[in-house]
Amino acid sequence: MMKNIEKYRSAFIDALELEEDEAWGDLALGETREWDSLGHMILISTIEDVFDVSLDSEWITEFNSYQSGMELLNRLGVDFVNE
Amino acid sequence: MTFISIEFLLFFAVIVFTYYLIPHRWRWILLLAASYGFYATLSSYFILLLLASTAFTYFTGIIIEKQETKKQKKKVMLVGICALLFFLGWFKYFNFANDSVRAILTYMDWNYALPYQEIVLPLAISFYTFQAVSYLVDISKGKQKAERHYGYFSIYFAFFPQLVAGPIERAKKLLPQFKVEQTLKYENLSYGMKRIAWGFFKKTLIADRLAPIVASVYDSPDPTGSQIVLATILFSIQLYADFSALSDIAIGCARMLGIKLTENFKQPHFAVSIADFWSRWHITLSTWLRDYIFVPLCKGKKKRSEIYLVIMITFLISGIWHGAAWSFILWGLIHGFYRVFGDHTKHFRGKMATFIQLDKSPTLHKWVKISITFLLVCFSRVFFRSDSVTDAFENAQLFLTLNSWRPSGIMEAFELFSLLDLVVFIFFFTVVQLFQYIERKNTSTWNWLSQRSAFARFAVYILIIVSVLVFGVSGQGFVYGGF
Repeated sequence: MMKNIEKYRSAFIDALELEEDEAWGDLALGETREWDSLGHMILISTIEDVFDVSLDSEWITEFNSYQSGMELLNRLGVDFVNE
Repeated sequence: MTFISIEFLLFFAVIVFTYYLIPHRWRWILLLAASYGFYATLSSYFILLLLASTAFTYFTGIIIEKQETKKQKKKVMLVGICALLFFLGWFKYFNFANDSVRAILTYMDWNYALPYQEIVLPLAISFYTFQAVSYLVDISKGKQKAERHYGYFSIYFAFFPQLVAGPIERAKKLLPQFKVEQTLKYENLSYGMKRIAWGFFKKTLIADRLAPIVASVYDSPDPTGSQIVLATILFSIQLYADFSALSDIAIGCARMLGIKLTENFKQPHFAVSIADFWSRWHITLSTWLRDYIFVPLCKGKKKRSEIYLVIMITFLISGIWHGAAWSFILWGLIHGFYRVFGDHTKHFRGKMATFIQLDKSPTLHKWVKISITFLLVCFSRVFFRSDSVTDAFENAQLFLTLNSWRPSGIMEAFELFSLLDLVVFIFFFTVVQLFQYIERKNTSTWNWLSQRSAFARFAVYILIIVSVLVFGVSGQGFVYGGF
């Protein structure tokens, strides 16, 4: 079974059509061609499906980097560390 | 009593004086009486509708909160929203829908019996309905508690500085501010007065001076192409000056009462793209549409083409919200198309900029983008300003005709101005541009000004007040005041 971190990475790859070997840690909204405002909505939909969560507008704005997305999901009960 | 009147200033001075004189526990009564009093002077007949909508939203909010499951909450919320939209639809869109059906059936040669209804649009209904919808949605999602104090809730609905034309506020931001005891602060009074004066400046020296010139072209049966080009550009300036002045006065009045309203404009005509434009123009409407239409409709969408459809729907709603006419719908759709087209061609345009080496000069590249965005916005405003769809298409054709852009033709079109009007407009337009330039270099022109010498500061304040008194003209209310 896939770990949450793998699911998270996979959601990024699917939604933003990224390459497997791209640098992940410092990926941020608006800083890459793929992760623009519309790509962000696709990413949010994908994340919602994968983790069965619902992100409203405030959280969508807060989710502005690879790292902040993980922190947000962590607050919603998605554990990336002790799984 | 409109914002731009001595009566309003006197009325507001009395409210501010009394507000700080009485204890906090009575202030809500004062604000509510002032709000209903203000609304009654503008639209006394529809105060009953305002009262009914307030009571309905208040009780619906409480009922939503009392539901046990998310599903039940959503159900009550939807019923509440449908009822609110029914009121809005009846008053704002009944005749539009009726006329549209009539036109289609006449075209098809079918009989149509529904008689025409004389319906007057209640002032501010679009604004307070949107505030009510956001309140109910936020309660059902658990982001907002249902307000139990009927007085404070009623002020949220009818707060007079922003009732007529926004900014469209959220209960989460506004309600707590009413409840906190606001103390008399020099900074609030000073900042509020400056924002009000600046609003008067933009409205009376730019917007209302341009209004008759723009109208002379758009009301003319046969304007020249160059006149349409010039009048449309001037209309864009007029609309910005008009609406941002309204927001300035609203923000300034609220600040004098210790209440901070959301900024509604961020120099939209310096936007580098249509997406950027909508993050700077009527910001509170854009964020409302984003949070309550665009984001919910995007749920589950995993293809760009699906998101494009959502964008078109969102802008369609924006167009309908602005006015019950096909020209407004087209205006909204044009912006939707711009946004979709802009996204779809983003990479190609980037490559083109590289190919012609435009991206080697970032400043030039930025100004090219600003100019193109401004012209696209101007084109859409042909539809916003024209009285009918037929007129809009004729005017749009003139706007797009290359011959209309001949410099000699544009120079001739300047004859629409008298020499005095032209000099006055150029002078005050330059002052506004200077203000905006300082704002782009610093975060706030008012802060920048406060660091100058007392002489410089007061020279600016006196210039603003004297200019309004000597050269200011006052027209027929605000463009956005009619929505």
